[in-house]
Amino acid sequence: MNEIAPAIIAALVIALMGGALSIFVVLKRLAFIGQGISHAAFGGVGIALLLGVHGATTAGAMGQLAIVVAFSIFAALGIAALSRTNQGRTDTAIGVVLSASMALGFVLFTFVESKHDHDEHGHAAQGHEDQHHLIEEILFGNILDTTWPKASIAIAVAIAILVVVWFIRRQLIFWAFDEPVVDAYGLHSKRITYIFLILLAIAVVMAMQIAGVVLAAAMLVLPGAGALNLSAKLRAVFVYSILIAVGGAAIGMLVGFEAGLPIGPTIVLIQSVAYLLTLIAKAVSARLRS
Amino acid sequence: MPTVPGFAVEINHVSYTYPAWGVDGATTPALEDVNFTIDEETKLGILGPNGGGKSTLIKLILGIIKPTAGSVRVFGYSPIEARERGLIGYLPQRIEADRDWPINVEQVVGLGRACRIKPWKKLGADDHAAIAKAIELVGLEDLASRPIGALSGGQLQRVMIARAIAGNPKLLVLDEPTVGVDIAGQQRFGKLIETLHRELDLTVILVSHDMRAIAAVADRVACLSRTLHFHDTPDGLTPAVLAQVFAHDVAGVFGDIHIDAHLAETCDDPSHAHQHQHDCGCSENEGDA
Repeated sequence: MNEIAPAIIAALVIALMGGALSIFVVLKRLAFIGQGISHAAFGGVGIALLLGVHGATTAGAMGQLAIVVAFSIFAALGIAALSRTNQGRTDTAIGVVLSASMALGFVLFTFVESKHDHDEHGHAAQGHEDQHHLIEEILFGNILDTTWPKASIAIAVAIAILVVVWFIRRQLIFWAFDEPVVDAYGLHSKRITYIFLILLAIAVVMAMQIAGVVLAAAMLVLPGAGALNLSAKLRAVFVYSILIAVGGAAIGMLVGFEAGLPIGPTIVLIQSVAYLLTLIAKAVSARLRS
Repeated sequence: MPTVPGFAVEINHVSYTYPAWGVDGATTPALEDVNFTIDEETKLGILGPNGGGKSTLIKLILGIIKPTAGSVRVFGYSPIEARERGLIGYLPQRIEADRDWPINVEQVVGLGRACRIKPWKKLGADDHAAIAKAIELVGLEDLASRPIGALSGGQLQRVMIARAIAGNPKLLVLDEPTVGVDIAGQQRFGKLIETLHRELDLTVILVSHDMRAIAAVADRVACLSRTLHFHDTPDGLTPAVLAQVFAHDVAGVFGDIHIDAHLAETCDDPSHAHQHQHDCGCSENEGDA
């Protein structure tokens, strides 16, 4: 139990962060940007590998995390800049950054691997298998090898994000609700946009620790999307979102550990089921009222 | 610090040209040597054709863009200072807020006020009183706790007006507020603005291409088509001036006001008249860039 304690706590705190942020992601229609950022992170892992920084040691893991976070922020701001020069076509900008980063990631993985093969002829087959395992971990997450140092960083960062969001909550809500007018009210819409995209990029990388590249963005969308089906009151929506996020993570881990399933995908599946249930609840309550 | 007291807005020889890489690559100035002042507590209507620089002037007053030449002062402050001090309330032309939001009338009205409160503080009694008063002034007190998704378009516009005045601004800027509204609706809107003006000692700027919308609200009128043509009470607004502002477009805009298009040429030198014609031909989107 002690061995998986850091993983469990990290997963719950990251889920809590995802629950809070997902409201803004869903209401501001940024779900697809989240996808773009998480896939861009794969390119970041490739760059870390190229630089010889990998997660075998604690220091290596920290270095890798720093590089991936930097690359994800770069990708998020790149998406914003590209969509501005592209007459606001955010979907195109995301498509470009997502594909380019995935391609870059795979090219770098293969390049580093082939260099590796050259260095150690005898272990080529073994290296190949490791590589595939590593790619799978990055794509779908592996919290089981979360140690206390890794978990502490994820927890601290997630809490820091929550504190920043709480501090600027009123500006964030105004911005997400009605961005075109906030400048007239003395706020700076561009500044708020950049701050939120940076927070989102960091949050996506933290969620990746649990759910991997492919599923990270789901943890930043599903709870909020579900909560919005349950209430038309802002405060209640926040509470429901956090319940779905943390509850989904807890149940996902229980089921995953019991049945020996991969933890990240199980959490995302449970949150997806919760989302479906909220849809049904919404439909039923609409019928009861009419 | 305030420079000249008594003026709500000072526009000092302001020109503005959109950057060449803007919408259509055009480099003709959107505004050229615009020079006027707005006295405190007046209700000024700014009338002009689409593409005449109305939206540009609003952005300059709100400090969203900076003039290429000249300067803008709002109550003696730079526009950015003025809006950070909460002196400006603004009603956009299109309400782009998302109606699916889980938010009610009271919360929306509170947004403009709440965003200036320190994060560790809650909204105080004075904030709640100001929000309640704003809702009452626009006549929505019965709907205060209703989700905004359940409101009509007109009600939603009144919510946005309440949001604009909830922060106790001294200047209210209205951008084409009555597009597509019938005459009775424009009259009601005019009465509402008159009430706010009286109760809150507001200076009001209303920008429109529609003479009737201006007449319903303003006690002074300025005509804008790239530069300022007229700045006086509505009574002095003669067909000749209108013809100058709208060039050959006049008949189209004021279907029921008969104006001889020849007046446009007698009021203006030919090169200028040509310019106006060009300006009037622009799409409405020009000013929204």
